[in-house]
Amino acid sequence: MYPSVKTQALLLLSLIAVLSASVAAHDPANTYQKSVILIKSVSQDFDYATPWKQTAMASGVGSGFVISENSILTNAHNVSNSKYVELKKQGLPQRYLARVAYIGHDCDLAILTAQDPAFFNDTVPLELGPIPTANSTVRTYGFPMGGRHISVTEGVVSRIQMDVYSHSRADRHLVVQTDAAINPGNSGGPVMQDGKVVGVAFQGLRAADNIGYMIPTTVIQHFLDDTADGTYDGFGSMGFSFFPALHSESYHQYLNLPPDQQGVVVLNTMLNSSVENIFEPEDVITKLDDYDIDNDGMVNVYGLTLHMSEIIEQKQIGDTIGITLYRNGREQTATATVAVNRPPLPYWRQFDEKPRYYLYAGLTFVPLSRNYLETWGQEWASEIPFRLKYLFANSIQLNKSKERKEYVVMSEMLPDEVNSYSKRYLNSVVETVNGVAINTLADLKEAFENNEEAFCEIKFMFSPTPLIIDNEKAFVRAPEIMNKYNVPAKASLEN
Amino acid sequence: MTYRPTLTITILAAILFAGCETAQRRNSDSAEKAFKDEIKHSLVFLDITTSAYENLQPWKLAPVRQEHGYGCAVAPYQVLTTARNMIDAAFVKARRFGQNEFVPVTVKVIDYEANLCLLQLDPNAMNAPLKPITFVEDFNKNAELTAWWISSGGQINTSHAALDRAEVNKSNVSYSQVLDYIVGSSPQTPGRGRLFCYNEKPIGIAYWSDSANAEAGLAPAHTINLFLQNARSGSYEGFPSLGFSASNLVDPAMRNYLKMPPEITDGVYVTKTYNLGTAGDVLKAGDVILAIDNNPIDSHGRFQHPVFDRIMYHDLITSRKTGDSITFDIFRDGRKKQVSATAKNFKASEMLVPFYEYGKQPEYIITAGYVIQKLTRPYLTSWGDNWQGAVPPHLYNYYRNDSFNPSDEREDILVLSYVLPTDISLGYHSLGRIVIDKYNGIKVRSITDITEAMKLNPLDKFDTITFENDNPTVVIDRSNRYAADKLIQNNYGINKLINVTP
Repeated sequence: MYPSVKTQALLLLSLIAVLSASVAAHDPANTYQKSVILIKSVSQDFDYATPWKQTAMASGVGSGFVISENSILTNAHNVSNSKYVELKKQGLPQRYLARVAYIGHDCDLAILTAQDPAFFNDTVPLELGPIPTANSTVRTYGFPMGGRHISVTEGVVSRIQMDVYSHSRADRHLVVQTDAAINPGNSGGPVMQDGKVVGVAFQGLRAADNIGYMIPTTVIQHFLDDTADGTYDGFGSMGFSFFPALHSESYHQYLNLPPDQQGVVVLNTMLNSSVENIFEPEDVITKLDDYDIDNDGMVNVYGLTLHMSEIIEQKQIGDTIGITLYRNGREQTATATVAVNRPPLPYWRQFDEKPRYYLYAGLTFVPLSRNYLETWGQEWASEIPFRLKYLFANSIQLNKSKERKEYVVMSEMLPDEVNSYSKRYLNSVVETVNGVAINTLADLKEAFENNEEAFCEIKFMFSPTPLIIDNEKAFVRAPEIMNKYNVPAKASLEN
Repeated sequence: MTYRPTLTITILAAILFAGCETAQRRNSDSAEKAFKDEIKHSLVFLDITTSAYENLQPWKLAPVRQEHGYGCAVAPYQVLTTARNMIDAAFVKARRFGQNEFVPVTVKVIDYEANLCLLQLDPNAMNAPLKPITFVEDFNKNAELTAWWISSGGQINTSHAALDRAEVNKSNVSYSQVLDYIVGSSPQTPGRGRLFCYNEKPIGIAYWSDSANAEAGLAPAHTINLFLQNARSGSYEGFPSLGFSASNLVDPAMRNYLKMPPEITDGVYVTKTYNLGTAGDVLKAGDVILAIDNNPIDSHGRFQHPVFDRIMYHDLITSRKTGDSITFDIFRDGRKKQVSATAKNFKASEMLVPFYEYGKQPEYIITAGYVIQKLTRPYLTSWGDNWQGAVPPHLYNYYRNDSFNPSDEREDILVLSYVLPTDISLGYHSLGRIVIDKYNGIKVRSITDITEAMKLNPLDKFDTITFENDNPTVVIDRSNRYAADKLIQNNYGINKLINVTP
């Protein structure tokens, strides 16, 4: 009962804010009633250990706003894994069916469009503004905890920095922190200043009061530009690791750098990344394009001191970036292509992708991913078996194969006479099948299906004993296993 | 409230014994009393003060702790107890029946793998010699045993337990697997070296007790007698250790794959061989062990012991003497074969990641605030109760997969544990828990390589340390190092910067 009382109190406070604001700033809530939209969605997640199953349905409420004559911007997390999305305007009874046109899980943004074009007959698109300055006043609009009326809260911009976007749990982009109340349901609503959108409200801190975050317009603009060609590619990433070690005067001298030269030290590049042949360990990066990098790895951009990755954030996939570096004491320049540069173990959460799997002898094989590891529950990071923990922590260093696109793990066993002795290999990562290296789930399928031997020998990483399956029995038992455990197909290799 | 359960037990005992003839019971009572009068001169209470080093600040001693244990005389001035009791013992004194003064005690022989320890009592501090006992290798399943010990107050106490079985268990003191007699006993479970007798004959001392399962494990008489025989020989050799690990081989598909004929139903699968211990040099991963010294090993790893029934194969190696020849019937590459190995053991300090360092100050080097430590199991366990889950996976992997495989190229794993923040290490303060690869360009095989590498190229301006995985090179300005070391010693209260045993 306590939370609902608290909600009412919050709504009440918001209303007072509306009344006083209308007098003060000619920016009242009803100005935006033709722009701010209530979004209802029903979603269903996948079960990444038993990949042909889906979990229970869940419904949620969020906010969004009109940004053009036929599109609405909202948070990706409002419409992720959605089965049904519905739009509603303030004060009108009609519900409109929506379609997700583009979704960027790495930046938590999505573009929706209404099935019925009439939805946009009386809407007013909002315009994007700049990054707000710290200590300036902003107002957030939306439908916190649902409700029928647009709520407005006012606050100041507290700070602007790079931070983790909690939707994917892993991507880092620029965020603007505000003390304007941002509550569940506010997500996707516009944050306004001087009549323009300066951010999309998207996350808060559960452990703290009055810390809300919005996605700034640099990230929004990147998303809009990216989707302009009809597909969403996402943000580029650096593809190398570095260390801010030049605070050490002796390291500075050891690397033969000119006095007062700042920069960061490259530790390594990721296999198959777009910078693999550009950097070597102990290169010192001093500039990205024309931005000087300081000893903390920060650059001055938009009048702010931000992490150097912000320079890459501004670019689209396929764009180039100029690099200035010191190698063996000599300055060099290079040009790199901005790419997604993802490692073989997805450490970020995936959405809207039907999990892939292959079933052999009642053993389920899936790509190793964060989604799969999260099936261990809240404390997954400490509860997963050691071999998975080791791989998750060191997937980039442990992978020595350029061929590797993903790791394949034995996620589940459907008990049957053919796999009576397989249990100890559960949650192990496949290394080879009949001597063939497994670098993708497709490799696994091929290795199983091309096997003409009486046995199938499956070797797992970090496990000295191979698993041996009677191949003929595996094929004989397959229909029975699928029937018994209600498995719709023995494989699903497409997302 | 505590009175009632005691009463219930007494009544139960009374019911249990109701079947016995009264005369017999009176006889056994008086016999027990006579035995008690005799055995009390064979037992001691041990008051143990332990002192160990802090694993993460190895220049510091942890707070002193008081422990206690029990011992029994095996010679007039020699007492047997468990090695567990003597871990990190700094000072030990014994109390015997009928003497108020404590007797100073020193360790004569300690074997952590067998979990046994022979203590020497100071004869000058004793009013009379102890009465030595002899262990008898009797094993009778379900036999009622009597435990005897001297309490801290010098009183003789007793309790009863039933001998349930003999089984091979992982030691709680070392990496070894040891044969235990398992006794089921009352909730107030005896442990810590208490003496157990069957029909007034000593058969073992308690290794451990598990009050949750109301069970205790005893060192069997056989192990004790071998230990004492070895200890008295003058040069203690210890028991052989295993140089391989094996897992069960029950999967018919796996057996077919190994081309094992159906008439062979025995055998365990060798998963790993070690560079230490017995038979690692003659076995290969993938071998199937069919028999050890003509004792067939079943697919679960058990063999038929003449006394103890079916127990694990480890006992066929660990109950032998070092230097003995042990024959393995194996199945390799589709054929039966026989190989022999010499029974060997090793010290924990020889392991790549030592299992323990009891009674020893951990080795470390502090230079310019960089705290370099040897990777050991105690180092890892200092992460707390859930250390396996909490320690960095790269470190845990060495412990888990390579502990028994030191090589000429690598005898120790050296870790930059953390950095004591000072000016000279600015920029590197966040580094820690990473494995050292090279020191001044020298591949680090053991901790002494670092002290040697520090002396190299005296004209160079810098010391350099590189690491495994993706980490920056640590560069130390030699001209500032001496001053920084002095400052760190004073600032952080470190009495010595280097503790390396040559």
